Amino acid sequence: MIRYGDYLTPTERLRALNRPLIGLIFTLAVIGFVVLYSAAGGAFFPWALPQMVRFFIGFGLMIGIAVMDLQWWFKWAYVFYFVSFILLVLVAVMGKVGMGAQRWLDLYIFKLQPSELVKISLVLALAAYFHRLNTDDIYKPHHLIIPLLLIMAPAVLVMKQPDLGTMLLLVMIGFSMLLMAGVRLYYFVGTAIATLAAVPIVWNVLLKDYQKNRVLTFLDPMTDPQGSGYHILQSKIAIGSGGFFGKGYFHGTQGYLNFLPEKQTDFIFTLFCEEFGFIGAVLLIFLYVCLLMQAFKIVLKNRSKFGQLLSFGIMMTLFIYLGINMGMVMGLVPVVGVPLPMISYGGTSMLTLMMGFGILLNADVNNRTKVSKY
Amino acid sequence: MYQAATLSNPNSRLQAFLHNRQESSSSPMPRFTLVVVLFMLAFTAIGFRLFWVMVLSHNPNNAQNKSIYSMLERADILDRNGDVLATNLITFSLYARPNQLIDSEKAAEKLSKLFPDLNKQVLQKKLSSRKPFVWLKRNLTPRQQERINALGLVGVHFQKEQKRIYPHEKLMAHVVGYTDVDGKGLSGIERKFQGTLQEKKEPLRLSLDLRVQHIVRDALVRGMQEFRAKKASGMVMDVNTGEMIAMVSLPDFDPHKPSSGEAIFNTNTLGVYEMGSIFKIFTFAMALDSKKVTLDQGFDASQPLTFGKFKIKDYRPKNRWLSVPEVFMYSSNIGTVKMAMKVGTEGQKNFFEKIGFLQPLKTEIGENGVPMAPREWHDINTATISYGYGMAVSPLQVINGVAAMVNGGILRSPTLLLDNNNDREGKRVISAATSEKLRRLLHLTVLHGSGTKGNAPGYLVGGKTGSANKKDDHSNNYVAKDKHRAIFVAAFPMHDPKYITFVMLDEPHGTSQTQGFSTGGWTSGPITKEIIEKAAPLLGVLPVDESSPKIQAAMRLNISPEGSAHALR
Repeated sequence: MIRYGDYLTPTERLRALNRPLIGLIFTLAVIGFVVLYSAAGGAFFPWALPQMVRFFIGFGLMIGIAVMDLQWWFKWAYVFYFVSFILLVLVAVMGKVGMGAQRWLDLYIFKLQPSELVKISLVLALAAYFHRLNTDDIYKPHHLIIPLLLIMAPAVLVMKQPDLGTMLLLVMIGFSMLLMAGVRLYYFVGTAIATLAAVPIVWNVLLKDYQKNRVLTFLDPMTDPQGSGYHILQSKIAIGSGGFFGKGYFHGTQGYLNFLPEKQTDFIFTLFCEEFGFIGAVLLIFLYVCLLMQAFKIVLKNRSKFGQLLSFGIMMTLFIYLGINMGMVMGLVPVVGVPLPMISYGGTSMLTLMMGFGILLNADVNNRTKVSKY
Repeated sequence: MYQAATLSNPNSRLQAFLHNRQESSSSPMPRFTLVVVLFMLAFTAIGFRLFWVMVLSHNPNNAQNKSIYSMLERADILDRNGDVLATNLITFSLYARPNQLIDSEKAAEKLSKLFPDLNKQVLQKKLSSRKPFVWLKRNLTPRQQERINALGLVGVHFQKEQKRIYPHEKLMAHVVGYTDVDGKGLSGIERKFQGTLQEKKEPLRLSLDLRVQHIVRDALVRGMQEFRAKKASGMVMDVNTGEMIAMVSLPDFDPHKPSSGEAIFNTNTLGVYEMGSIFKIFTFAMALDSKKVTLDQGFDASQPLTFGKFKIKDYRPKNRWLSVPEVFMYSSNIGTVKMAMKVGTEGQKNFFEKIGFLQPLKTEIGENGVPMAPREWHDINTATISYGYGMAVSPLQVINGVAAMVNGGILRSPTLLLDNNNDREGKRVISAATSEKLRRLLHLTVLHGSGTKGNAPGYLVGGKTGSANKKDDHSNNYVAKDKHRAIFVAAFPMHDPKYITFVMLDEPHGTSQTQGFSTGGWTSGPITKEIIEKAAPLLGVLPVDESSPKIQAAMRLNISPEGSAHALR
């Protein structure tokens, strides 16, 4: 029986890892390989095999992170944040221009997308900050300056890339953590009202016409049928063509004809729906819901504020990814470059997710560990 | 002590969590519940949407199910008489699945022999790539296809495709637009109607008339050569429906192989320009409609006007008192400014707002220019805008605005679709009586004023000339006088206007035949005349006897100074 405050050795932690969660992660990854295999027209290249390699590297990383000391993560949270922030600055200075925006950092072995890493490190840094904060200090407004800076600094940099979608993600993750940390509710209400009130001013006074057009296109892709609206149109056609039972494995059209330029990354759900139909989609969503339920449990069981906020942040990230990606391909939300967790092809996003799951597992196995504030 | 309290009282459990007690319990907190509710809502929304898109909207027989094929089967585009402007041709395209190839090097060699335009190295690279699918050559001829079959290569396949064909090539390029190799519309109607053209199988009918389009382009090409102009644009519009009959922008391009340069730019809709004296039509409409100026008034045009350091002069000064009709027919800046001042800045701003000159037009093609107007509207702006400087609009806005001035005062949105104007009713912008007066003024200008070169006898033409000085792109100053845009707007027949034309030449040069003049009346005028004379019979407008008493009465206008009984007609 492990009691509150007990210290576990890494081997003990390894044995106590959350097996249902690992099982779900594994299942989702396998589904990802299967879909990517079909996306390539029935081939391991160029996507399925590299994805497998990355998954297994990521899996090792995840287990490694999971058995580490939670105190260690607390200690290094800011350093981790700082490093990923510096990487983000490096992208701005010398990054590779990929897909029309500067997001990549060429590390020769693989291309690193620091805006992905920042999502994890932001969660870490915010959890560490609020863990260290004294009980009543959260009600003092000046203690909110640092967390707001932690959120806004990478958000502004990401926006410059330009990547409006990731910026919104960072802000959403950050604010959800502030909410969970116990920042007074009326601050959120106030911020929401102030933002709404500022919209007409910003719109009419500060924004130039071309900037307005960009925002409008973002909100209503159909006004730009040449650009992202085309993706949505194609995506909806393909999803709709799947029907209840789908067209069957390898019988999707998108894998064979390149109507969706990004079919292996952000629009992979389209391909999945076309081949496996409504039934398949519901099953996939069910798996994700199970994954989130596991995360719920971990948040609730956690005794330390650090562990609780950490797992909450990871859960939120996962949820926001899912909601935005699925909403996007079905035309519910504007087109934002967000991958479908575990299924979409992509090196950094896979590694980031596996790190996130590692932290989640770590928070789970250490849910009774006392995290010292110093 | 504390711990006991925490566990017994649920409220203090919450407190414990919020207050960062390490021993916070596992009971659900309200904030967490909030998040859970949010999650459930989001997944419910996604589930419903999924059900809607995949099960309810799913119909195995509808076009959506044939997504790839619907991409290829694009509806035809026709002109108003049913002539084909864009259609499809079935072709086959060659692609390879590199992982199925046995010997990519040999295949590359064989194929490059067959297609001298395909580079062997490039082919080799494509064929040995790890991609599951590579295009090798699009739109093969049947003979090419047969030869590839004869090669007996494993791993290369054909995909049935449809190539978009524009039988009239350049003629409609700016309006109809063009598609990329995948059959996706990239400009004009092809782009804006991307969805409709793919989903609906019946052809899309445009309001354009192929024959008139041809006449306009012909006249513009010749005019552009004769006057050595850089660009030319011309339009014909039905004044009573807003339907565009012709829309030509030169230089133009071949939609089968679109260039990326200037030729793709549609000057008629996307360009915005200062229109010079053409704007006097609007100043007169505004002034007469406000009843602050009447046709039997007059203004002193003997002295230039000064606004601060700014001096307003006449191009051809008469140096005397001019009646209101004379101000129009001689195109006097001084007289026009004085009229605008009577209406005032606010009145002018409202008028241009009313006729839609402060907003971009909404048309059935995506290429619409954003007009330029002063941010702050002072007296000096009112003065210069009254004769066409300090405000820039697209040629389509001008022709549409003038149409409303002569058709009895109804402004409609211009349309490129046949019988499909959703703004058929339009809105009244000036009174019918004002419109009637403008018709007389415009006819007078063509008969005796600056627009005589645009007169096509028998068609009772009314028009206005404009020669707008060009600004230097860099310094924003007006450049030498010989660099201008020469414009002519004309409507016919003036007793019951049916059609309106717009002709604009960019930097025309005078010739010996024009005595060296290059202004709107001398250059765009004759082009307009040619267009009207050739197009009117096709459009069913018959010549009238201009000396008949009925017409004379309809066009009568008292022009002599100080309102004496002398009438010019």
